[in-house]
Amino acid sequence: MKEEIFLGNEAVALGLLEGGCQVVTSYPGTPSSEILPGVIRLVKSDGLNTYTEWSTNEKVALDNAFAAAISGKRAACCMKQVGLNVAADSLMSAAYLGTIGGLVIISCDDPGPHSSQTEQDTRLMARLAKVPVLDPSGPKEARWMARLALDISEEFKVPVILRPAIRVCHARQNLSWKSLHSNETRASFEKDPTHWAATPRFRFLLHKELNRKLDAISRRFEEMEGINFHNLEPGKRYPLGIAAGGVPYAVVQDILKEEERTDIPVFKIGSPYPFPERLAEQFLYACEKVLVCEETDAVIEYFLRDREKVMGRLSGHVPAEGELVPHVIHRVIDGVLKSLGLPPLGRENAGEAEALMKQLELPVRRPTLCPGCPHRASFYAIRKAQPKAIFTSDIGCYTLGLNLGGVDTCLDMGAAITMASGFYHAYAQDGVEQPIVATIGDSTFFHSGTAGLLNAVYNEARFVLVILDNQITAMTGMQPTPALGTRADGSKGNAIPLEKVVAGCGVDFIEVVDPYDVKAMISVVKKAAQYTRDPSGGIAVIIARHPCVIAYRQYALPDRKKVVVTDDCVECNFCLERFECPALYHDDMIGRTAVDQALCIGCGVCLNVCPKDAIVEA
Amino acid sequence: MDNMNIVLCGLGGQGILFMTRILAQTALGKGIPVMGAETHGMAQRGGSVVSHLRLGNVEGSLVRAGTADILLALEENEAYRTLPYLGRGGRLYANASPRVFPSPVVASYLEKHHMVCRCTDAGRTAMEHGRPMSSNLALVGFFSAFNEGPFTFADLRETVKQISPEQFMATNLKVFDACHEIAADKKR
Repeated sequence: MKEEIFLGNEAVALGLLEGGCQVVTSYPGTPSSEILPGVIRLVKSDGLNTYTEWSTNEKVALDNAFAAAISGKRAACCMKQVGLNVAADSLMSAAYLGTIGGLVIISCDDPGPHSSQTEQDTRLMARLAKVPVLDPSGPKEARWMARLALDISEEFKVPVILRPAIRVCHARQNLSWKSLHSNETRASFEKDPTHWAATPRFRFLLHKELNRKLDAISRRFEEMEGINFHNLEPGKRYPLGIAAGGVPYAVVQDILKEEERTDIPVFKIGSPYPFPERLAEQFLYACEKVLVCEETDAVIEYFLRDREKVMGRLSGHVPAEGELVPHVIHRVIDGVLKSLGLPPLGRENAGEAEALMKQLELPVRRPTLCPGCPHRASFYAIRKAQPKAIFTSDIGCYTLGLNLGGVDTCLDMGAAITMASGFYHAYAQDGVEQPIVATIGDSTFFHSGTAGLLNAVYNEARFVLVILDNQITAMTGMQPTPALGTRADGSKGNAIPLEKVVAGCGVDFIEVVDPYDVKAMISVVKKAAQYTRDPSGGIAVIIARHPCVIAYRQYALPDRKKVVVTDDCVECNFCLERFECPALYHDDMIGRTAVDQALCIGCGVCLNVCPKDAIVEA
Repeated sequence: MDNMNIVLCGLGGQGILFMTRILAQTALGKGIPVMGAETHGMAQRGGSVVSHLRLGNVEGSLVRAGTADILLALEENEAYRTLPYLGRGGRLYANASPRVFPSPVVASYLEKHHMVCRCTDAGRTAMEHGRPMSSNLALVGFFSAFNEGPFTFADLRETVKQISPEQFMATNLKVFDACHEIAADKKR
């Protein structure tokens, strides 16, 4: 028996492997990114046969895992909640087709949101697809549920979703564990085209079959201990009860324990779908009012049908958006108790401190590109070369290019390209020549850039596309891309150069440039823009290639420069606003811009930026 | 032992997660259940980073505002920003110069709620030892002099030894010891 502090995502990895998971696929995205590396670490330490891969996107990940599962193996795929949108096409169909081996889809939610475009709730996706979903409250339970999900999936032949929210994924908890063993089940796909390639007529039958499976699973969940439960005393009636799932359940438990409130019963919902109807009826019967604490959207609240009794996000008793952090839940419970004339919770003094903080007017810390980030150099050059362009961009570290005025739009993965063609046609229709520069990261381009680029070339759109190639998936924690040729477990795969993919999409103008060479980059962007206006031109693609300074410290900075600001600085703040390097700051003591030597990593790119040439090499 | 709530804060890149790991591992070494919450992703890119650590039998990973026993801050403004977490009688350990920190208005708030502020220029100590990035180790070294809960000097130091990467271990310990000495001198 070993004991270790596990990250929630590593606990999920442990649960999957304890459940004999043989195939794990994933596309990185906060807060899910550490699951696959967690699996790989345990596979290596315990010598397991589990196959792992970083897939090129979430749909690809799910399709791969699905094929393994219908070969009789246990499989899982991991993604963030918006990744499940990309995999939704696959998910909806897989629900009908069912599975042979256990198939678990892990979709990590981000209430807040801390690192996502939306606060969408995976439990609603599960309901939409009609697949069971388990909602853990902490790492320990996530581990148990990962394994349970595999078991339930295999027994009932249906994919199961596990939905850990960010505070489970990035929680840490001590767990004990024993050595793991490989699952030796061999692939044996049995052909049955009327099932696995079902036509719409048979899909109707499959839908019927799925409904039957859900009924059976619902009965199983009612019988099982530890998923859905309440602590009502038989025959007793309560003025208020709390129904909760996921992270808010853990918070509610802590608050009631700290406040010694044994007068408030709690109903824990671990499987929001299929919903534990029988327990819900008991709870609604015994309680005058039921407060629902859940993240992120309303699901439990919808399923609890008594609108007179139920209070939650829909009724306005709980904030309709945002993370339910402990002090918010504390306030909500306290408010509800007071409104019902029940004894309130203990006093909370956080309000006073919050008021004090407002009074202090602390600097807002917005996220920013790292010192030395090659994307900063690219955005600076792009704006210099094409000041009037619309800048469509995409999802990754480089979305922070908006701090430099280099990002006007961010919709979804791949939209830098599809929106660039959309803008082009919208303006071209009016006979207007609107310059457009799209920026997309290397990993995002592999994820969902090609379909949009093919479409744009095919339909004769014109714009400049800059692929910001830092040779890594940086934002989510440095995962490799297909161009690198390194696979998830560190072994060698086939490297697929971006140039070849772009050429394969039908693009004739392809230039590779190092953005650290700002002058060269500016001139390439100008040339590319000219090409988009040329009668015989078209889409111009620039690959701005420089390694990420965090992932490849030495190799990214072969020639470090010591940079200082001279008295020629006239405090125009051009560098602070347009270059926005964290190492450049306004020093109030000396009355001009200065370099924070602790933050500066010596890339020397800022030497090209000052209009008065006051930034120089020491 | 009663449950203990700790909040650690600073800026992305200051090593808050490593500092949290030192404390968590030390507590676990004494058989105390640990639960924590970290910041990853977009929020890590130079923004405010807050990490939570809870010792004892708790369910949730987040410290509720107004209930932290200890606040460890690697940066002054972040110390102010996370002050709402600190509970009555809580202790604030900050990487800040005692000459300017805390500001008078904050000092009177701390006093009113029986909170204690202990600060040291951990960043400068780290710099003097040639590793400006080690202000996290310096602050933990300072903290180790006050025997908070399970966190004795010897146990914290042992954890630093165990989990520091080989190439930084010697400097990490030097910085840790130096700041421990500063705190010990202060107490004398």
